[in-house]
Parts: sequence; structure tokens; C-alpha cells
Amino acid sequence: MQQLVEQLNAQIPLEGYLTVAAIMFAIGAWGALIRRNAVVVFMCVELMINAVNLTLVAFADFLPGAGGAGAGYAVLIIAIAAAEVAVGLAIVLAIFRTRRTVNIDEVDSLRG
Amino acid sequence: MQSLGQQLVIAAIPVIPLVVFFVLALFGRLLRENAQYVAIFGMVFSVVFSFFALYLVIRDGRPLEFSVYWINLGEGGGFPIGVYIDELAAVMLVVVSFVSLMIQLYSGGFMAGDRRFAWYYAVLNLFTASMLGLVVAPNFIELYICWELVGLCSYLLIGHWFEKPAARDAALKAFIVTRIGDAALFVGIIMFWRATGTTAFEGIAEAAQAGFIGGSLLTAAVVLVFVGAIGKSAQFPLHVWLPDAMEGPTPVSALIHAATMVAAGVYLVARTYDIFVQSPTAMLIVAYIGAFTAFMAATMALVKKDIKRVIAYSTVSQLGYMMLGLGVGAFSAGMFHLYNHAFFKALLFLCAGSIIHAMDSYNLFEMGGLRRRMPLTFWTMVIAGLSLAGIFPLAGFWSKDAIIASAFEEHYYVLYALAIGTVFLTAFYIFRAIFLAFTGEPRTEGAARAVESPGVMTVPMVILAVLSVASGWVGIPEGFGLPVRDYFGGFVAPSGFARETLEVEPHGFSFLLAAISVLVGLAGIGLAYAMYVARPALAPAMARRLFGLHTFLDKGWYFDALYGATFVRAAFAVGRAVQGFDREVLGGLVGGIARGTGRLGEALRRVQTGRVQNYALFIVVSVLVLAIVAGAQYAVIVAALIALVTLATLAVGARL
Repeated sequence: MQQLVEQLNAQIPLEGYLTVAAIMFAIGAWGALIRRNAVVVFMCVELMINAVNLTLVAFADFLPGAGGAGAGYAVLIIAIAAAEVAVGLAIVLAIFRTRRTVNIDEVDSLRG
Repeated sequence: MQSLGQQLVIAAIPVIPLVVFFVLALFGRLLRENAQYVAIFGMVFSVVFSFFALYLVIRDGRPLEFSVYWINLGEGGGFPIGVYIDELAAVMLVVVSFVSLMIQLYSGGFMAGDRRFAWYYAVLNLFTASMLGLVVAPNFIELYICWELVGLCSYLLIGHWFEKPAARDAALKAFIVTRIGDAALFVGIIMFWRATGTTAFEGIAEAAQAGFIGGSLLTAAVVLVFVGAIGKSAQFPLHVWLPDAMEGPTPVSALIHAATMVAAGVYLVARTYDIFVQSPTAMLIVAYIGAFTAFMAATMALVKKDIKRVIAYSTVSQLGYMMLGLGVGAFSAGMFHLYNHAFFKALLFLCAGSIIHAMDSYNLFEMGGLRRRMPLTFWTMVIAGLSLAGIFPLAGFWSKDAIIASAFEEHYYVLYALAIGTVFLTAFYIFRAIFLAFTGEPRTEGAARAVESPGVMTVPMVILAVLSVASGWVGIPEGFGLPVRDYFGGFVAPSGFARETLEVEPHGFSFLLAAISVLVGLAGIGLAYAMYVARPALAPAMARRLFGLHTFLDKGWYFDALYGATFVRAAFAVGRAVQGFDREVLGGLVGGIARGTGRLGEALRRVQTGRVQNYALFIVVSVLVLAIVAGAQYAVIVAALIALVTLATLAVGARL
């Protein structure tokens, strides 16, 4: 029991964070490429952004020489992501109003 | 050194007509026919200032000169722009500005009602300005700029009635033919500049004396400069443009022939005389070209039906005399002829213009009997004709006789024979024209109803008639026995250096040579009288008998045909070849590139699906490729995970 608690309290290695982030990024990218629903695509993009955020925070913790700059970037990215979502959802709403669909397969008026 | 005020006044001589040009070009539409008053107002100042410059040169006994840098190359020298007025230039300034004033007065009547009246006056002033600038130029660069402006203005004025195809063609011909000479002149200027490092006339002459340029190089450069003069002064073999230039308005012909365009070539030779005399070969070329041109053009004038063309060929011929004079070392006589010729030739053209204005025809054989209808025109034209024929004591006699006598006394007997033959032909052709136009019965309705021209036209004619008689009296040679001095010969004299180099000894006035040339001239007039007044049937009979010769002369020795068959056709062939190359090779290349780009675009447009996810896929694949190239394992792992998840989903989906 004591051993388990020690193990849980022990420092998680950097590779752990990066693996989780990689899996999150991969899932996000997969969804962004595959899913049809624009709202779901957005959620996948959020997932990718947060995967990147995770790596930034992890590196900030593990690289003392960086002086915690990565954490600062993470905050900045969160703010930008919020703005991006606001704009993106507004676009999705506008598309829905005109075309009665949020299926991004059907939105191809820029086809060459 | 002159005061600043004097310098400004002298600089204003060419600048005033230039300013008038800009005023008329900008406000011509508002001024319309009032443009002539603006132009004449400005021109009067130019004339007065020219006389002032002449006065200053006489008073000080040395040239007026000042200059500023136009392009300053620092250590490498530079190109100054300025004014150099010696005796020669001062006389030319007075002649050019005065004749231009007369012609601008006259044009007010001749061009009345023209559609582009103000524009005509504007270009006339630019023409005068560039000629005045050419006269005062102290170096080749300034001279060349004005030289080209003169060419441009002649193009614009000859083509003034560009609605007529003949006028358009004549303007182009004048421009292109003189351009051949201009190109040669420019090469000559560059040769001088390369060899001596200066473009100033005095500097080049001194550098040549010092041996910086000499031998065949000097001769080549001088001959190239002379080719420029040949083009502008319509000498053989570049004389073909001048007769065609008659398509322009008649006052323009007067201006081109008397004071501006064609005088520029002779003036160039005189201006650079100190350089010319250092190359005896070049001087001989000048003399022979001049004498041959004088004779050739006179024969062409014998049979022309168009009154203006008779006078045009006469100009070519008289310019030949001037070149002959310069070539045999009779500098003063050559320039004296240029000065006298300006007045009587301007007058001849104004008389012709008066006839044309009265009956709207150029054809001598549609005239006849105009003596009673237009007495003033008749008498002024007779005076001009006598002066041209060199009859004592009119202006033309003094200068022409001086040239011919010099040719004889310098032992150029071939040139003398050509010159004296030309005297006969000259007297004959000009009086043929006068007798055809003014005597006998009117041959057409127009001739019978002609009336004398208005005062604005006849007044300049009368003034010029007085000058045609008297302008020569300032140069009566000392040996003639009258108690007068040879003002002109003493004033417009070659430099001491030129005199020494040529070793020309002053000749006394030879009564025998003068008597011969006057008698030959009178014989020409007599023959014209016999053929066109006493026995009018004689001329057509001779034309039929000597049909071949008549056609040969009428076609201008077939020069136009010769040039047409050789140079013009060759130029067209080259033009077609270049056009073919341009259309087929270059056009094909450009078209091919355009078509290839189009096809590529057509193929690539499929990539633009308009679906956001396709684009995202491109990005992912691109990053993947970059990652593999860069060897970044994590990106490869992410890609592998994406692929894994996709496969897993597909597997699950397939099972469901």
C-alpha cells in the first residue's frame, strides 16, 4: 500500500505527458479530417490545441532554464482559442442560416 | 565679360520663341487666330536682341561667350550649355530671327482660316527657337540637341496638313533621310569626344592642332560631321527629301529654305571650319559634293511643272554653291551667299505662296498672264529671280561671283566649270518659271480671276525685295573701285589659324570673271525668254525631241527610284523578316508559354475541391513528409496514431 502511494506520488516522467499529448493530438487530427459535422470538427480542433497546450505546460515544468515561459504561452493560446471558437461558431451559424446544413462536405462553393 | 543683364538679353534670343511655343501649345485653343500676335510680339524682341548681340560683337571686337554646366562630371569634366556668339553667329542670329519675323507676318495672311492655326504658329516658333539655339551653341552636344529639334519641327511643319497622304509621306521622308545624316553626325561627335575629351568647337580645333586627333581618324570624324551637314542641307546624295518637303505650307518652305533647316548644315561646316581645314581630304569632299549638287539640282529644276519644286531645287543648288565656297577656302564668300540667299530665297517662296494663295494651284502650266493681275508679286519675284541668277548689282551677284571666282583662282577648274554651267541653268530655270507664270495669256479660269494678295503678305515681300537688292552691298569687294569697304568679308572672316592652314591668298576682284558669270546668267535669261515668250512652241517641241532626257530630269535623275529599289526595298525586307521573327518565333514562344500555363492550371484546378478537410489532409500529409525528411520521430508517431485510430474506427464500423 505504502509502495503504491509512493508510486502515485512520484514524479510522472516527461514522456508520459508527451504520449498523452500525442494521443490527444492524433485523435483531434483524425476527427478534423474525418467527421462531417462542422461542430464536431471544431471540437476536434480544440482537442489538438489543448494537446499542444499540454506539451507546453509539461516542458515548462521539466525545463527549468525556460523560466516557465511555456506556461505563459499556454494562457495566451487558451485566450486565442476562445476567440477562434467564437469566430468559428459564428461562421458555422451563418452557413447554417443560408444553407440549412452544417455538413462541411456540402460546403464547397470555393471549388476550382 | 558681359554684365548679367547683357547675358540675360542674349540668352533670351532663343528662349523667347521657346516660351512662345509653350504658350501657344498650351493656350492655342483659346487664342485661335490671335496666336499670330503673340508670336510676332515675341519675335520682334528676338530680332531686336539679335541686333543688340550683333552690336555688342562689333563694339567689343571679340566673341560673346558664357556657359553653365548642364551635366557636371566633376573630375571627368562635363557638358556645359551656353552661348558663343562670334561674328558668324551674330550675323546668322540676325538673319534667322529677321527672316522668321517676316515669315510669321506673312503666315497670318497665308494660313488664315487654317484648322490648326495656333499649333502652326507654335511649331514655327519652336523651329525658330531651335535654329537660334543651334546658332549660339558653343559645343557639339548643345548643337546636336537643337539640330534634332530642327529636324523634329521640319517633320511637324511639312506634315502640317497631315490629312493629305502626300504631306504625311513627305514629312516622314524628310525626317528619315535627314536622320541618316544625323546618325553620322552623332558618330562623328563621339569620335571627337573620345579623342579629345571635349565637345566644344574651339577645344576640338585646338586639340586637333596639338595632335590629339589627326590623320585618317580626323578625316573620318570630319567627314562624318559633314555627312550630317549633307543630310540637313540636302546635298547629294541625301537631297531627295527637300523637293518633297514642298507639301508643307508655303511659308514653311520659305523658312526651311531661307533661314532655318537647310542653313543649319552649311552653318555647321562654317562653325567647325577650324577643324575642317585640318583635313584637306575633307575639304575637297566638301567642295566636290557642293559643286556637283549645285549642278545636278539645277538640271532637275529645268523641267519641273510645280513652281515650288523649281524653287526647292534651286535651294539645293544654291546650298551646293555655299558648300563649294567653304570647300575651296572661300569662307566669307560661302557665308555671304548664305546670308544673301536667305533674303532672296525667302522672297521667292513668298511670291510663290502669293500666287498659290491667289489661284490655288502649284502648276506653272495653269498660270500665265499674272503680271497684270498681281503686279507687286511679279516685280518682287523678278527682283528675287535676278538676285538668284547673280545679275549685277543685286545681292546674289556679289556672293555668287565671289565663290565662283575663288574656285577659279584656287585652280579648281572642274569645279569652276560646274559652277559656271550652273549659273546658266539657274538663270534659265528661274526665268522659265517667271515667264510661264506671269507672261502670255491666262491658261486657266483661276489664273484669269487671280487677285493680288492682302497687305499682310505683300509688305514682307516688299521688305525682302529691298533686301534682295541691297543685302549684298555690305560685301562689295575692295577691288571693285567703289569707295566702300568690304564690311562682310572683314567681319565674317575665317580664323587666323584657318587662313594659315589653307594658305589662301587674298585675290583682287576680277572684272573678267565677274563679266563672264553675268553674261552667262544673262544668256540663260535670254534663252528662257526665247523659249517661253518669243516662241512658246519651242519648249514643248524640245521636250518631245529630247523625251528621254526630259523624263530623266523630271524624275530627278531617278534618285527616288534608285533609293526605292535599293534602300527602301531592303528596309522593307528587313522589316518583314523582323516582323516574321516577332510574330512566329517570339509570338509563338509567348503564346506557347501562355497555353502551357493554361493547361497546367486546368489540370491543377481539380485540386481545389473547396472542401476544408481535403485541404487539412494536404497539410497533414505535407507535415508528415517534412517530418520524415527531417527525421522527427514524434511527428511520425502522431501520424502513425492517426492512422491506427482510423483503422480501428474502420474495423469497429465494419463490425457494427
